[in-house]
Amino acid sequence: MLLFRSEDDVEKWCDHRRISRGAIFDLVRLWRLACAWYDDRLDANWRRRTILERQAILESVGFGGPFWRLTD
Amino acid sequence: MSNPILDSEIRLWVYRYFADTGRGPSPVEIAAHFRLTPLQVDHALERLETEGHALVRIPGSSHIWMATPFSAVPTSFLVRSGTRQWWGNCIWDGLAILGLLSLDGTVSTACPFSGQPLLVTVANGGLVGSPGIVHFAVPAGDWWRDIGFT
Repeated sequence: MLLFRSEDDVEKWCDHRRISRGAIFDLVRLWRLACAWYDDRLDANWRRRTILERQAILESVGFGGPFWRLTD
Repeated sequence: MSNPILDSEIRLWVYRYFADTGRGPSPVEIAAHFRLTPLQVDHALERLETEGHALVRIPGSSHIWMATPFSAVPTSFLVRSGTRQWWGNCIWDGLAILGLLSLDGTVSTACPFSGQPLLVTVANGGLVGSPGIVHFAVPAGDWWRDIGFT
């Protein structure tokens, strides 16, 4: 999960590394995901969220479709 | 023999240690704090990694590499708040550290292609501006296949 100057730089980086382009989006959405995904890590009774709970967090910030489908 | 309550206490202590100091505790420090043997700590960290996905150890070592969003080793994502600093594993984790600790601060990184420095600022619980664009190369179903690359 990297931050690039521009979408054009993402394309060039993927070409250079010979990897497929993944998902591209802005920092605002990532900030929402970051806060929701990790908000329990300092809880004394932390447990790993179920796959359904984690999928729901992704969907709550608009990440749906095959690229965002989790597996356990 | 596993002890889920002790494992849970170790996990929480490790996370608080990262939050308070910006670095991960060594196995020796964990052993001293909980009055455990090194072997007991090894087993507890192994359980926390393999059963709980609560942390990741450096391959071939009993030392902690990640307690996501924190990294025990320097990365390209330096998080600062006042005089405090942490390492995030990626831009997602860098932002998550400020969110988790409810702190204003910055995440400094650089574009992996151009090398241009990028500074992300969080203030009053929100982003200030939105420099750059985020790229996730790995599909969600494969995140844990190679968490270092992810």
